[in-house]
Amino acid sequence: MDFIVRHAHVFLFIFLETLSLILLFGLNDNQRIAFLTSANRLSGTFLEWRANAESYLGLKGENERLLKENALLRERLLSLSDSLELERVKVSSDEVFVLARVIDNSVRKDDNYLTIDKGRSDGVEQGMGVFDSRGVVGVVNMAGSHYSVVLPVLNSRSSISCKVVGSGSIGFLEWRGGDPYKAILVDVPYHTAVSAGDTIVTSGFSSAFPENIPVGTVRSVEQHRMSYTLNVSVDLFVDMSDLRWVYVNSRKSDPELEELVGKH
Amino acid sequence: MEPLSFLKKLGSMTGLVLLQVLFLNRISLFGYVTPLFYLWFIVRFDSSMSRYSMLLWGFVTGLLIDVFTATPGLNAASSTLAAMIQPSVVKLFLAKERREVIIPGRNTMGTGPLAGYLFLMTLVHHSAYFLLRSIPLEDWLVITAKIVLSTLLTFIAMFAVALSVEKSNQRRPA
Repeated sequence: MDFIVRHAHVFLFIFLETLSLILLFGLNDNQRIAFLTSANRLSGTFLEWRANAESYLGLKGENERLLKENALLRERLLSLSDSLELERVKVSSDEVFVLARVIDNSVRKDDNYLTIDKGRSDGVEQGMGVFDSRGVVGVVNMAGSHYSVVLPVLNSRSSISCKVVGSGSIGFLEWRGGDPYKAILVDVPYHTAVSAGDTIVTSGFSSAFPENIPVGTVRSVEQHRMSYTLNVSVDLFVDMSDLRWVYVNSRKSDPELEELVGKH
Repeated sequence: MEPLSFLKKLGSMTGLVLLQVLFLNRISLFGYVTPLFYLWFIVRFDSSMSRYSMLLWGFVTGLLIDVFTATPGLNAASSTLAAMIQPSVVKLFLAKERREVIIPGRNTMGTGPLAGYLFLMTLVHHSAYFLLRSIPLEDWLVITAKIVLSTLLTFIAMFAVALSVEKSNQRRPA
């Protein structure tokens, strides 16, 4: 009994460590603990405050990029309205993009995360794709009520279904750490023609992203003789270190499609 | 615990947590080195605190840091460990058994032992932090580099602060 009393703090220690490890390994992807991450109100407020202070520094570049995007959109609008007239394409109305601001971001770690200022109350949910005017950014990992944590391309757990423009070959975009401007497209079938300079876009096979969101360009192709697949090195379009505004693809996912395609 | 000391602790913890999450977490030298200076709160635990309150303060501090990142439990686990070993590490570096209440620092320990104390505390905390973070442990070279470089950076920062704090504040609490 004396032993137990003298060492009672050891039990508290074991209890607290167990609790921490359950949080770390058991529930890391769970929506219920979103409040324990930067998707919560408290940290969101502070991070937003810091983002506000920092946002003035990048205004010029941001402005230029928006102007360019604006020009591009006008151009597309013109060509689209022509084709709409001709084919009477029904534009799906459930494809809604939520504009969100990046309030916390990292690119230099091996598992990077970013926090955005939109959450479930804005229609953002786990699994939704995030991109900006330049291309794919990542997928919502945890959605709090007003803030969300995004798993960006620059995270070892990220895997996004993509295709090569032209040949149409499919692969998964992954990241192996290091260079924040470079990712790898894996599981590309061996026989397909992929060459340096080709453009990579989203495949649209998962509900996270619509088809044809730009991802990057092919830098080099490496053959994996053992597995009969290609590893394609990709230069990303998005400079992850310079993210301010992003779009969240809040289109409702189709449960049947999800089931068929699996996790990707 | 006296209310004032509790409030002071709360203030000090809040300040260090905000410093960590708003500024220091942004630092990542060479992709490896992030100073985890919030450990300062734990290394300054005084010997009058009960083991329970040390553990709880350590846990809460870590959990608050986790609240700002996407790795719930990571900092909580490492700081609870640091809070657990703190009294033993202090004892290890104290020249002789002390009866009075002490806060680890240059005046109570001496410069050399203080450095050893801070270094060991940082090493244990950072090892736990980077090992848990890097699971599955694949690239040992990178993990070791992260532990060593981050430990050095945090240690230097804490040692510098420890020396300057006691220079500007010669009166020590009895």
